[in-house]
Amino acid sequence: MSKLYLSGNEAIAYGLIHAGVRFITGYPGTPSSEIIPTAQKIIKDQEIKAYVDWAINEKVAYEVAYGACLANIKSAVTMKQVGLNVAMDPFMNSAYVGTVAGFVVISVDDPGPHSSQTEQDSRFMAMTAKIPILDPSTVEEAFEFSKKAIQLSEKYGIPVMLRSTTRISHGRALVEVDDQIIKQELNPYFKTSKEWTKQLSRFAATPKQRLELHKILNRKIGEITKENIPRLFFNGNILILSSGAVFSYLYELIEEHSLQDKVTLAKFDMPYPLSRDTLMSLTLPQNTTLSVIPRDSMSREISQNKEKILNINKTFSRIVSIEETYPVIELQLNTEGRRNGIVPKEGELLPEVCEEILENLKLIKKRKIFTIPPLKRPSLCPGCGHRIALYEVKKVFGKKAIYAGDIGCYTLALNFNVTDIVLNMGASVSLGFAFSKTFELGNKNQDIVSIIGDSTFFHTGIPPLIDAVHYQVPFLLIILDNQTVAMTGNQKTLSTSKNFLGECLKPIVIEDIVRSIGINFLEVTDPYDYEKSLTIIKEAKKFLKERKEPAVVIFRHLCINTQEGLKSNPKKSVKISEELCKGCKFCINEFECPAIVFDEGTSKAMIDKTLCISCGCCIYICPTKAINLI
Amino acid sequence: MKLVIIGKGGQGVIFFSRMIAQVASMKGFLVRSTEIKGMAKKGGTVEIQMKIGEGLSGVVRRGSADLVILLSEDLMDYAKTFGDKVFTFTSEEIEKALSSVPMRYVNTFLLGIFVKKTALFSCDDFLKIFDNQNKESFKKGYEYVQSSTRNSSKRRN
Repeated sequence: MSKLYLSGNEAIAYGLIHAGVRFITGYPGTPSSEIIPTAQKIIKDQEIKAYVDWAINEKVAYEVAYGACLANIKSAVTMKQVGLNVAMDPFMNSAYVGTVAGFVVISVDDPGPHSSQTEQDSRFMAMTAKIPILDPSTVEEAFEFSKKAIQLSEKYGIPVMLRSTTRISHGRALVEVDDQIIKQELNPYFKTSKEWTKQLSRFAATPKQRLELHKILNRKIGEITKENIPRLFFNGNILILSSGAVFSYLYELIEEHSLQDKVTLAKFDMPYPLSRDTLMSLTLPQNTTLSVIPRDSMSREISQNKEKILNINKTFSRIVSIEETYPVIELQLNTEGRRNGIVPKEGELLPEVCEEILENLKLIKKRKIFTIPPLKRPSLCPGCGHRIALYEVKKVFGKKAIYAGDIGCYTLALNFNVTDIVLNMGASVSLGFAFSKTFELGNKNQDIVSIIGDSTFFHTGIPPLIDAVHYQVPFLLIILDNQTVAMTGNQKTLSTSKNFLGECLKPIVIEDIVRSIGINFLEVTDPYDYEKSLTIIKEAKKFLKERKEPAVVIFRHLCINTQEGLKSNPKKSVKISEELCKGCKFCINEFECPAIVFDEGTSKAMIDKTLCISCGCCIYICPTKAINLI
Repeated sequence: MKLVIIGKGGQGVIFFSRMIAQVASMKGFLVRSTEIKGMAKKGGTVEIQMKIGEGLSGVVRRGSADLVILLSEDLMDYAKTFGDKVFTFTSEEIEKALSSVPMRYVNTFLLGIFVKKTALFSCDDFLKIFDNQNKESFKKGYEYVQSSTRNSSKRRN
């Protein structure tokens, strides 16, 4: 055994491999992206036979991992909460069909949101699909629950969701893990249709048999509900129900404010499925253990409640659910909470917000309110190829064009006005279609540019481009190809030729896909080549005017946030001439490189040498030619 | 102890926090932390909240930090929302770090200054966990405080 200082995501990877999971797929998405690289590292270091790698998108990832469990290999799929939306189709049906070997769906929520387009609750989605959920409150529990999820899945033949959140996945704690992982023989097996009875062919069920599968699912959920008992802490007459990270904050606050005799805190490891019946007749088990809570505080709580059957209506004056981010426990058990305004309806339930809730419950007095000064908005890295590429596009298409952006680092181009809308993965292409068609219907000329990154193009950008070709819809699609999934921490894309073990992969060439669809205008350029890039964009604009069909320009430049990209990047040091700089701030507002700063004292732009990587791109942009190579 | 460490991407804020966590856990304390990295990699705000020997989560409530370690002076107002006690480096110390050690060891130099000035952790514990280059850089930072305080006391005399 050794104690490692693991992040929640690393703990999940260790938990899965320890539980015998040997097939993991997923698609990167903050805050879930570190699970797969950690699992890869473990199987590589310990020479474990397993398949762990990224899929093209979450739907494919889900189907591939789920397929593995149907072929009798314990499996898992990882994604962020909005990724689950992409995988909803197989997610819903897998609950009906059930599992053969254990199968865990890891969906990491981002209350806040810190880096997502919504703060939706994966628990709610799992409730819709009738899939049980484990919701860890600490990093240690992330490790424990990964193993527990596999056990539960195997016991009932049902997919189990492990729902984490940013604070758990990006939290760190000391986790005790086994040094050696047991190496088991894998025994793949699949029951083909011949082996099923006519009454029920589970894997290829007719609609009539689906009703039967739904009954079976309901039965499983009923049984799981019966054994889903919350753990109780403290001894007061207000009952607070909670799960996930928020439980930890509440536990800490109750101790800090000495509310132990005013509040009873119930922890649901599994916030779905629940029934009012289990709550109505709570029996406290004699030896509840919670490894993360110090022993001395545990014994105090339990000894006072030992073997006592609670009638919650008599015992408690109020029952309130405090949970992130949707009312999952609250709706199932019909308690107070979000719906009567005790708990804020949006935003992360940080400890300071939990204090506010305790104040709403009149348990504590007014707290000090902090006004948080705004932080500097995020920008593309100095030297990023996306910046100069999108500057070039703006130079040709101007401010009147509509720029439909997508999900990736390049969303930050909205800071310098080259992104007007961002919806979700792949939508830039569909929106290009939509705007082009609508303006055509209204007989209005409108330039439309869609902007998408390489990984996002692979993810969901290809189907709408096929539609655009088929329906002959003119707009320019810019594909920013930096050969990596940059925003989530530089995971591999489909253009990679080696996997993490050094084994050969077939690189997928974007140009080949684009050409095969029937795109008649396709050019590839390095955005650092300013004049060539401008010429190509002008040609594309001309093409769109003459021909009624989409055009594609690929900007290819390695991400400078990778070692390889930074090493191969041109080195061109620049200076800003004090005489020539007129202080117009064009570079600040229309280019927004963090390495160009404005000195309000002298009213001149300056290069911040600590941030500048000497890409030399800014020499093209200054209206008064004040930026030059040294 | 509740700590918050704030700085910018590229300053080695995360490395800084991991070293503190490693030393504290070596001493037998339970350590928990939470990392918030913004969307932007270089120059974006990075914030680590950490609890040593207390709590279930690494999240530190605003106003409750025992100490805030600030690596980027311009984030002072933000840092103060976590607690009144803010440890920061003087511009002389940062200049000294930049001129004394290669860029990637600047954070261990600053860590040396921090350990010497606050005396919250023992210097020897840090020396146990570093590789040679980091050890050198850490020592330089640690000793720089000794020499500069000697100089300033001399001046005072």
